[in-house]
Amino acid sequence: MTVTGRSRWVLLSYQLPREPSTPRIALWRKLRRLGAAQLLDGLVALPLDARNREQLEWLADEVADAGGEAAIWLAEPATAAQERALAARMAAAAARDYQVLVEAAHQAASGSEAPAARRRTLARLRRELRRIQARDHFPPPERDAARMALAELAATLNTSSDATSEVRR
Amino acid sequence: MRWATRAGCHIDRAACAWLIRRFLDPEAEFVFVADPDEVPADATPFDMRGAELSHHQGDCSFERILRRYHLEDPVLWDLARIVHEADLADERYDAPEAPGLDVLLRGLSMVRGDPEVLALTGPLFDGLYEYRRRALLLGREPS
Repeated sequence: MTVTGRSRWVLLSYQLPREPSTPRIALWRKLRRLGAAQLLDGLVALPLDARNREQLEWLADEVADAGGEAAIWLAEPATAAQERALAARMAAAAARDYQVLVEAAHQAASGSEAPAARRRTLARLRRELRRIQARDHFPPPERDAARMALAELAATLNTSSDATSEVRR
Repeated sequence: MRWATRAGCHIDRAACAWLIRRFLDPEAEFVFVADPDEVPADATPFDMRGAELSHHQGDCSFERILRRYHLEDPVLWDLARIVHEADLADERYDAPEAPGLDVLLRGLSMVRGDPEVLALTGPLFDGLYEYRRRALLLGREPS
């Protein structure tokens, strides 16, 4: 997905009853997991690909199941500047998440945790990295920093996986 | 009987097709369509928007078919956990097998068409079913 040329997006417009709040919260969690950008109240966007479209379509059906209204739209930003702003906003959100991971990894690498505890921390941070990557559609430089920080943490454990294998993935 | 689903099968549709053929309709014939409007009148649609056998209330289509046809085999529900996470990754279940299965199916769908994806994943799901059946009987991972 390039940030320069204009590309296509899939949008979900939705309206849910105010109560009960459970479907609203469930929807909000799922949108966050997908990394959807909130354009307006009740309007979210993802770069168009088969998977993103399918996932938003399922959410549209869930909104309907919960007594709300939803529709799926395929769209193109009218200007490249508008698209750049949206992509930059999404990249910045992912960058903050990666940064938190970098700090946690550095702390674990320089801390005094026993190896077993440090290994558990590494496993937890690796899971978190996968979650962030799954919702990151415009990878910022912080992604590589996060991978590197985890590779360094892994290296302090002298695991058989060498530091570079983490970076290559 | 004829069954219809969207073209470009990934984990949920491949698993549903296996489930249908093995537990509901051994003679099942599958039709792949690009749009819900193209579903033949005599075919039962699954894993398509608006279909009964599709995502509802947070269930994936595989879970929906289990409920709709009252398939209560605990092994199938154990497989449903894996299929759900491979399809939706919403962490409703703990399914460490799911990301690997998702990648295998995605890769397979890049190099093979839908009929072949279903033919190749049939034995894969047979094996997964057998593995999880033994795991449930033993109460631990079989060797």
